[in-house]
Amino acid sequence: MWFFILAELSVFAILILVFAVTQAIKPQMFGESRLLLNTSTGLAMTLSLLTAGLFAALAQEQVRHSRSRRGAIYLLAALLAASVYVVLKVTEYRHLLASGLGLEHNTFFTLYWILTGFHFLHVLLGMLILGWLAERCRRGRYDASNRSGFESGVLYWHMVDLIWVVLFPLVYVLG
Amino acid sequence: MSASRWLFVCWAALTALSLCTVLLAQSAAAWWLSLAILLVAVAKAWLITNGFMEMRHAPRLWRRLMMSWALVLALLVGLTLLAIV
Repeated sequence: MWFFILAELSVFAILILVFAVTQAIKPQMFGESRLLLNTSTGLAMTLSLLTAGLFAALAQEQVRHSRSRRGAIYLLAALLAASVYVVLKVTEYRHLLASGLGLEHNTFFTLYWILTGFHFLHVLLGMLILGWLAERCRRGRYDASNRSGFESGVLYWHMVDLIWVVLFPLVYVLG
Repeated sequence: MSASRWLFVCWAALTALSLCTVLLAQSAAAWWLSLAILLVAVAKAWLITNGFMEMRHAPRLWRRLMMSWALVLALLVGLTLLAIV
């Protein structure tokens, strides 16, 4: 799992560096385009992802003590928090599209859509994994001695969080 | 400190640092503010790595690899920002 996570982090690192280098080449365009994004929405998305991460970690703690049913409840709370991110992101995407700020508007928005869209897909996959883990927890499939699959799934979610805490300042704030 | 309490402390610190990022962004534009925002991002990444991912208990090589991801990335992004200045 760690090799997979490092591979994913490497892919995102390349995309992030492409964004940063392009920003250095076209600072004015990136500065002006960034003003069209709402930093408060970005902050709310950050907090929802981090809260989902907290609940996922708490679920892992419950499974470690063979309390998998309680772990399932924490995972549902994580999914609820992650859903806030999804709603905010979809709302932001719809608003940008309605304003004509799609993939082809300019270089900033091309990279914005690629970076955040790729991350968004990871969030959706992470939510599917958390939902699957919650169902297995509800059935009592995990306990203190059988939890490596559970921990791998939760690790995937934390990786999604980790990428976002770098993406958020780069896309919404810096420049 | 219990594991759950440690997780809550990590989450509270992550929340505070996220607010700090936005507050720094609303201050006057300056190159050192951008660097401060990058440092905050690295601190958040390390909190997730050591707290949520529990890398503080992992073998040293994996821990260093995971922790260096955000640091190296922030250094490189910082260099591109200095190019703008």
